Amino acid sequence: MQTLKINGSEREFPAGQMPQTLSSLLDHLDINHATVVAEIDGQVVKRNDFAETKLNPGQSIELVRFVGGG
Amino acid sequence: MEVRLLDKLKIADRVFESRLFIGTGKYASNEIMAGAIEASGTEMVTVALRRVDIENDNDDMLSAIDRDKYLLLPNTSGARDAEEAVRLARLARAATGTNWLKLEVTPDPYYLLPDGTETLKAAKVLIEEGFVVLPYINADPILAKKLQDAGAATVMPLASPIGSNQGLKTKSAIEIIIAQATVPVVIDAGLGSPSHAAEAMETGADAVLVNTAIATADDPVQMAIAFKKATEAGRGAYLAGLAGQSRIGHASSPLTGFLRNDD
Repeated sequence: MQTLKINGSEREFPAGQMPQTLSSLLDHLDINHATVVAEIDGQVVKRNDFAETKLNPGQSIELVRFVGGG
Repeated sequence: MEVRLLDKLKIADRVFESRLFIGTGKYASNEIMAGAIEASGTEMVTVALRRVDIENDNDDMLSAIDRDKYLLLPNTSGARDAEEAVRLARLARAATGTNWLKLEVTPDPYYLLPDGTETLKAAKVLIEEGFVVLPYINADPILAKKLQDAGAATVMPLASPIGSNQGLKTKSAIEIIIAQATVPVVIDAGLGSPSHAAEAMETGADAVLVNTAIATADDPVQMAIAFKKATEAGRGAYLAGLAGQSRIGHASSPLTGFLRNDD
């Protein structure tokens, strides 16, 4: 098993099935790339870099987007 | 006779015709929100960042906001200290591509009052990183001065606690902030009715930021129009110069020359 921590929750993937890039993770989770903002281990990843950003087991990933607020 | 039109507002390098900024929280639907934003005549709207719900993903609300017409002002709501606020700010910048930011640090979940020490600390870091920082603060004249000296684009003192609709409870402190301001003063939080907004503008505020009072009205679009008019009326009154108050009455009609013998 390989794990990624996504928005605070551990997520397990059978060996060899963990998404290799941030883009493929978003596809796996069915999340719209165009409106999401990502942070890996505290570092912001630019949207243009999603496809090239490799993921490693154990990383902590935050996926956020805009909601209504004052 | 020439009538002086309402003046424009400049924040950082940007000019605004409207002195009413709108928050996008608490609307019953994106359609109502979009209608209220349009009706308000605003040119800047605030938004917040939150974790995507992985299990139940709702697409974001940004599609309802015309980015060509409205400048997005992401906030750092939810941040409890400077470190969290800076982190949210960087995420917001990555998301919007703009460096405008409403900085708010509110560790107290009950009154939602801002932490001035942490706000100043975060503001210094973010200004250094090139952000246009609009800090939400208590009506604290000393803090306001420190923030403007540090390079904040505005100061945004609260009228009363966020979402409380209590109106301009901090008026005397806000008068001091306005008197010493070298940057625009935006009254943020607590304005519950158009008359509150008008009062803030009459007092000399440069703009007001309104969310709850519009979003939770029975008819948000109608309320947005009312706030627009009130904000303009208040600014107009400020520019015109309010007449003085006095303790006793002063007749508006002449008191002499009446049909009586003792004049």
